[in-house]
Amino acid sequence: MLDSFSRAVVTADAKTAAIGGADLNALKGFIAEGNKRLDAVNAIASNASCAVSDAVSGMICENQGLIQAGGNCYPNRRMAACLRDAEIVLRYVTYALLAGDASVLDDRCLNGLKETYAALGVPTTSTIRAVQIMKAASLAHINDTNTEANGGKRFNQMGSVKGDCSALTSEAASYFDRVISALS
Amino acid sequence: MKSVVTTVIAAADAAGRFPSSSDLESVQGSIQRAGARLEAAEKLAANLDNVAKEAYDACIKKYGYLNNAGEANETQVKKDKCLRDIKHYMRLINYCLIVGGTGPLDEWGIAGGREVYRALDLPTAPYVEALRFARTRGCAPRDMSAQALVEYNSLLDYTINSLS
Repeated sequence: MLDSFSRAVVTADAKTAAIGGADLNALKGFIAEGNKRLDAVNAIASNASCAVSDAVSGMICENQGLIQAGGNCYPNRRMAACLRDAEIVLRYVTYALLAGDASVLDDRCLNGLKETYAALGVPTTSTIRAVQIMKAASLAHINDTNTEANGGKRFNQMGSVKGDCSALTSEAASYFDRVISALS
Repeated sequence: MKSVVTTVIAAADAAGRFPSSSDLESVQGSIQRAGARLEAAEKLAANLDNVAKEAYDACIKKYGYLNNAGEANETQVKKDKCLRDIKHYMRLINYCLIVGGTGPLDEWGIAGGREVYRALDLPTAPYVEALRFARTRGCAPRDMSAQALVEYNSLLDYTINSLS
């Protein structure tokens, strides 16, 4: 497992070069924006169970066949496995966002996931839809842009100071996209 | 590679939980100290060749016998390799300053070092002398800030201890 610092070290070691000058700028940025990153991780982790249940039920709403006899979320036991998997995916995305590097997500979650799902007969289109909903929810929580209209009874905002989180948002989005491309 | 962030993630993953507030707190602590570390890494990288050359010269001066026939610093090829080794340690120290842990030194410098030096019949005392010289040569605020120098020196100490 690597974080953005050890990633820089491994890259430099391949060239037997010390890390200095321009190579350090990205790392200095990581430090300067450190609190934003921790707030973003906290925003996802604090709303995780909500995002997960919303994503899985949203996926089922759009495809009712999943909970009819023979569907992949029928009976409860299989829907529970689905909720568990969605939470695991979201958990590894938060790890990657905390580390600033996708290696933990790749090594511990995505490696072999597609093959496992194929063997178990899990439909990847539905899985991808659930990941997309979790992505939308997580990005909204990072930026605190969720609205009462979207959140309904479970509306929740972090209330942290607003700032420019565009870089972090696109980074978090890239980890979700990584999950999607690993499954498709 | 071991760092504060990866250690925190590995622990959270083993427990199967999302990063907790205490996890984020320990990452925050590491980030706060990172400024000094990166400064030391930057200054060392900018001057690594000179730092290594001075340290190398100091150890050859102390252990002049190394220039004798059959010793480790006899020919130009061997001299170049000795200097390269010191540069190698300095580069690993640079990496350790970046990740905020001793992972690079442990994995790429210290692990197996004893066996290699024994197999090649190299004395470790000159390495210690070179690193000791570098340890006393650094000066705040001339070379870097006081806190950065503390981080740099502690890694030199760590390397010296691993060789003795």
